[in-house]
Amino acid sequence: MSGLTTNDLRRRIACAEVELQNLRILLTQAEAGEREKQLNEEQHAHGDEKLTQNDSAWKWPLRVEEYERYARQLILPGVGVQGQLRLKAASVLIVGAGGLGCPAAAYLAGAGVGHIGVVDGDVVEASNLHRQISHTTDRVGHFKAESLVVFMRQLNPLPRYSAHTELLVPGNATALIGNYDLILDCTDHPSVRYLVSDACVRAGKPLVSAAALRTDGQLAVLNWPIGKGPCYRCVFPRPPPPLSQMSCAEGGVLGPAVGVMGVLQALEAIRIIVAGVQANTNEDAHDDFAPQAPTLLLFSAGGAALKPPSFRSVRLRGRRPDCFACAVNAPLRRMWSAEDTGSSNKNVVAGGETGVAWPDYVQFCGGDFDRNISELQPDERISATELKRLLQEEYSRKSEGTTATDTPRLWLLDVREKELFDMGAINGAVNIPFSRIQRCQKKTQSKELDALPDWLPEGMRTDMAPIYLVCRIGNDSQVVTRQLKELGLDKEGKRFIGDVKGGIRAWKSDIDSTIPFL
Amino acid sequence: MASVPKPPKGHFNLLYFAGATSFTHKDYEPLPAPLSLAKLFAELEARYTGIRAAVLDTSLVTINLDYVDVPADGSGHDVVIQEGDEVAIIPPVSSG
Repeated sequence: MSGLTTNDLRRRIACAEVELQNLRILLTQAEAGEREKQLNEEQHAHGDEKLTQNDSAWKWPLRVEEYERYARQLILPGVGVQGQLRLKAASVLIVGAGGLGCPAAAYLAGAGVGHIGVVDGDVVEASNLHRQISHTTDRVGHFKAESLVVFMRQLNPLPRYSAHTELLVPGNATALIGNYDLILDCTDHPSVRYLVSDACVRAGKPLVSAAALRTDGQLAVLNWPIGKGPCYRCVFPRPPPPLSQMSCAEGGVLGPAVGVMGVLQALEAIRIIVAGVQANTNEDAHDDFAPQAPTLLLFSAGGAALKPPSFRSVRLRGRRPDCFACAVNAPLRRMWSAEDTGSSNKNVVAGGETGVAWPDYVQFCGGDFDRNISELQPDERISATELKRLLQEEYSRKSEGTTATDTPRLWLLDVREKELFDMGAINGAVNIPFSRIQRCQKKTQSKELDALPDWLPEGMRTDMAPIYLVCRIGNDSQVVTRQLKELGLDKEGKRFIGDVKGGIRAWKSDIDSTIPFL
Repeated sequence: MASVPKPPKGHFNLLYFAGATSFTHKDYEPLPAPLSLAKLFAELEARYTGIRAAVLDTSLVTINLDYVDVPADGSGHDVVIQEGDEVAIIPPVSSG
């Protein structure tokens, strides 16, 4: 029709949308400016003396549109005008514009928190949208921090918003966090959680921390009262072992489960602000301030019909006397004070530490997030292309109608969880979920054949056909390859056991681009 | 979780959360009481090989909803889990 390709049209729509958003922002700012100007002119026209006698002049602490917008919370006991003014004067930084950050941001913006910052270096993907409710299909590909600010501005144009389109790292953490009164940890990896907590201890900011995975959620208010409440390290001094660390991308997550936790973060943040976070920023100034004992709130979204959703609250202790970050003479505090006084060098920090002011969080949490383990030797691994060739051989052998169809010439075991396997698998693969194999590990210490685990497919323990393991990206398959060899299934090296390098991801990129890869 | 039945006589209830549930495939189970807290992890390792390194060592432990530090076995600072107690294994959840 117009001679434009679909790509051209998409690009032009995206440009027009950005332009439209910018115009809306300009309009909001211009309107606010006009209101301000009008108010000033009125005051000038009347003069200060006349103003006090003029009933029609504005003389109330909140603006007219604020009374209207916040009416339902203003009339709540415990909030009132003072609470609303505290919300207006407060600033909150949301670290992570994902499944927790989106719902939290919605309620904070709605409540009229004066300045809301969002830090996130990622862009919106379609797989985010089932739970990251502030992003939209037409903002896929946009920075999450900016997308969330667009959402909040549409919801409530009155507050000030800042989008920080960068990852939180030790280099920017103090500066970013130092600019806000209260921090929300809405991140998705242990290494960032420790960094956010440490930076809050350093900057003296309360931290509302939440997390969710699959159907479980956790919520805690940390470093509150400032300098007295426990930090994240006090509650969880050691990070989970790397192989058990799962992100939502690997473990899955139910939208409302993570949503509940984000909403609870907004609730805690509003409670703290209304109670007066700004009045309690001095570490020694609030001995008479006695909030509830620190707790960890656990949420379980339930599962089968017999297991309904439930909450449980456990009492935490105060600061750990030996905490790495927040104890009186904590190693991190010594690093920071060395940095602050400009005397940062190797001699300042006891124990031969490096003398930099921040630990290596990625290493502390067991290495790179998307790392590939390499447990196996190169000759124990085959490529997706090689597997394709082997499968074709097997297929043509079967179709020739030989009598030996009962004894396969190769085993292909897919060790992904059942949900992923059911979504799409390589033809001929047998599914034995990794979790099932690990659960049966304790029975597999003995090498006697009858002691072999019951998950082994019929026939595999006795025949000599080579065994190929495949998983999602080629990590679990290496672990299982080792385990099968330790069981003696390789018959002292006479039988090949190995894995497919890169797993289903490689199969998708090299062999079958249609297979769903999640 | 709200409806965990009372443990049988001579037992305490052990509740599993998040990764502990994934590892054991249980929400809770009764274990014989009394049991020294310092011996709890060894007892669980005997039942679920690998759980100590994969889950327990980095988990928060509570007795009757109160945070406790699990002492090293033989350190002398022990707490004894009593009949009817409720002990919880709470691994950190990190995603969002």
